[in-house]
Amino acid sequence: MASGATPPYKPYRHLKTLTAHTRAVSCVKFSNDGTLLASASLDKTLIVWTAQSLSLVHRLVGHSEGVSDLAWSSDSHYICSASDDRTLRIWDARAATSESAHVKTLRGHSNLVFCVNFSPQSNLIVSGSFDETIRIWEVKTGKCLHAIRAHSMPVTSVHFNRDGSLIVSSSHDGTCKIWDSSKATLLKTLIDDKVPAVSFAKFSPNGKFILVATLNDSLKLWNYSVGKFLKIYSGHVNRAYCLTSTFSVTNGKYIVSGSEDRCIYLWDLQQKTMVQKIEGHTDTVISVTCHPTENKIASAGLEADRTVRIWVQDS
Amino acid sequence: MNAPIIDPLQGDFPEVIEEYLEHGVMKCISFNRRGTLLAAGCSDGNCVIWDFETRGIAKELRDKDCIAAITSVSWSKYGHRILVSSADKSLTLWDVVSGERISRTTLQQTPLQARLHPGSSTPSLCLACPLSSAPMIVDLNTGSTTVLPVLIPDTSNGLVPQSRNKFSDGAPPYTPTAACFNKYGDLVYVGNSKGEILIIDYGTIQVRAMVPVTGGAVVKNIVFSRSGEYLLTNSNDRTIRIYENLLPLKDGLRALDDLDKTANELDGVEKLKAIGSKCLTLFREFQDSITKMHWKAPCFSGDGEWVIGGSASKGEHKIYIWDRAGHLVKILEGPKEALIDLAWHPVHPIVVSVSLTGLVYIWAKDYTENWSAFAPDFKELEENEEYVEREDEFDLVPETEKVKESDVNEDDEVDIVTVEKDSAFSDSDMSQEELCFLPAIPSPDIPEQQDKCIESSSKLVDSNHSGSPLSDDAGPNGRTTNHASSPLEDNSAAEDAVARKRKRKPSEKGLELQAEKETLKDDTFV
Repeated sequence: MASGATPPYKPYRHLKTLTAHTRAVSCVKFSNDGTLLASASLDKTLIVWTAQSLSLVHRLVGHSEGVSDLAWSSDSHYICSASDDRTLRIWDARAATSESAHVKTLRGHSNLVFCVNFSPQSNLIVSGSFDETIRIWEVKTGKCLHAIRAHSMPVTSVHFNRDGSLIVSSSHDGTCKIWDSSKATLLKTLIDDKVPAVSFAKFSPNGKFILVATLNDSLKLWNYSVGKFLKIYSGHVNRAYCLTSTFSVTNGKYIVSGSEDRCIYLWDLQQKTMVQKIEGHTDTVISVTCHPTENKIASAGLEADRTVRIWVQDS
Repeated sequence: MNAPIIDPLQGDFPEVIEEYLEHGVMKCISFNRRGTLLAAGCSDGNCVIWDFETRGIAKELRDKDCIAAITSVSWSKYGHRILVSSADKSLTLWDVVSGERISRTTLQQTPLQARLHPGSSTPSLCLACPLSSAPMIVDLNTGSTTVLPVLIPDTSNGLVPQSRNKFSDGAPPYTPTAACFNKYGDLVYVGNSKGEILIIDYGTIQVRAMVPVTGGAVVKNIVFSRSGEYLLTNSNDRTIRIYENLLPLKDGLRALDDLDKTANELDGVEKLKAIGSKCLTLFREFQDSITKMHWKAPCFSGDGEWVIGGSASKGEHKIYIWDRAGHLVKILEGPKEALIDLAWHPVHPIVVSVSLTGLVYIWAKDYTENWSAFAPDFKELEENEEYVEREDEFDLVPETEKVKESDVNEDDEVDIVTVEKDSAFSDSDMSQEELCFLPAIPSPDIPEQQDKCIESSSKLVDSNHSGSPLSDDAGPNGRTTNHASSPLEDNSAAEDAVARKRKRKPSEKGLELQAEKETLKDDTFV
């Protein structure tokens, strides 16, 4: 069904392995301008690397427990981290020294904070926690603007859509919900089965679709206004962890996800066929991120691995 | 934006006060083009820019030279500049992003209203309506002023002798004359004290057309809708009139030239009236026939479907909402404080009103959650539908349920990248970068407050409580003064002066009552 003129797929190859964390790495994200890469770990620190030379820029210390998630502001100046110590911290990525990078601490959650994201305008931060609430924070003052009793089990992911008007949240209670971000009210429930747990949800770059991962080894692409899923991606293993997946749009459209069988899977977005299975990590690949402009993927491995690996595609 | 899943059955106008904003004594307000920022002029000469999403202060424009009350605020088209007119007769132009003053012009009279030219992103011209003389075009770079004609002279051609740099052309002082630019700023529409609308080409300082307002009462306000298709006048005879704009939105001058040619056989006033009748037609009139109220600050909604007017009576904060066909749909009543300014959000059904006490009230729809939001299969019906059951509905193993097919073709191409253009802003010049948000720079935590806050994080406290000194807020709210050494006891006093948002009623009830309200609210969530 593919049109005749598509170039053959060039596989990603290993470029570098970064071993700087002393415990499992929980999250990696490229900055929006593509110059920096940040990684968060259960060793209570975050590390900022340059995306080009992959050299260490900052080691951000301050959390008293492990860090589960991180997010970049749209202008790539600030990083927000979500930690098991029930707080979120905002760091200045351009600070001169790692010690002076900490700007703010957001307190309010009553249990560990699991996921975080900036709004596209980056004046708001949304966070989800094991206390089953979603909180919306004002970046400037750190004030919590809304605390939503969103789910009946831990919230596994939160994400703003492209214009910041909607927030999608997923939870272990099996639901995936869409909220109005200014009024903090529920607009739609996308999935409402008790089983399986929804481990990850994220809007597509144009905000029209939602990529949802559930703990039954499946990834689905939903059209949320209609309430139906359009594509299913499978072949990987996802039963226990909240693996993050993402869209790769720099050289053809793909879905990229980590897996509990220590590999990274890439599927063609339209055909749903698996185009590559990258091996190399020695434990579950919990997080993957794609560079905004280059054909580069960064991935993070759990406790038995503790590395961040960089993969590139020759063009 | 999120149009596909917002319930279309709910009406499009606000109903209740959602919040209020407090920062000094605010006098006048203006939204930027997309309604993401709200600029407010204060009585102490400063201008505050609110981030409308977070309802927090994004920036403050402080001018040490200006300490008199601000009389009006105006944004440039793409939000890069703000023009502020003040009671000390000055017009100040600011650059929004840097917060720097670009220029300051002093007029001979206090300008009651000043509007930047709406056609360009870095305008140098503005239209100023002084306290008691004719409106003028001010060049902000050179400071020169061009007085516009407000009365049609009795000369045979419509030309008025040019008067530069003088505010008086020999006529006695007028009551404040209303004037506004049309959508792209090529013409100025003036409403004068004889009850006439004059269409003026300010380049040649020529009156090109005249439309007499029925009744001939003094025109107090004249305002265009955002689309430029409708014009509103508010007159001393307590009537708001809506006119349809018959001229094309762009190239209005050329259309006027064409009309000129067709009316060649007429002269003077008759000619201007004839052309005027082809520029505007009266569409509707609104008045309150029972209380015969005077109106204040009338304006259109963002899409031009609704018209609002504030009641000009003292001690009353009433906002009337009409649909464009003329039906009164709602009267919003606020606290007993006179209303001094009003604005409708460019996109959302939100109205912002300023009261005499300096508070800015935000009116929004009373949002009740749609029940269909709670389950994916729920759909809201407009009316009862008779359910006809299938043949095999009650069979133990119904035939039709065995094959549950998704009616979506899984092989269809899915486009995850293309973004749809927002039709409400179709005239956006894509080459111009619009300023929608001011970068939110997190203000650094104050070291001592961090220890005190640890207690509150163990409870599920909704930190919307503005009265709580233990709340998570730390650090100054965008003010330039240094709050670094403020001890906890001073916070409650400082909070009154500092910008805060509060829920619904602006009362000073204690924490207990607020906590009660919050738990009641929380219980409604699934």
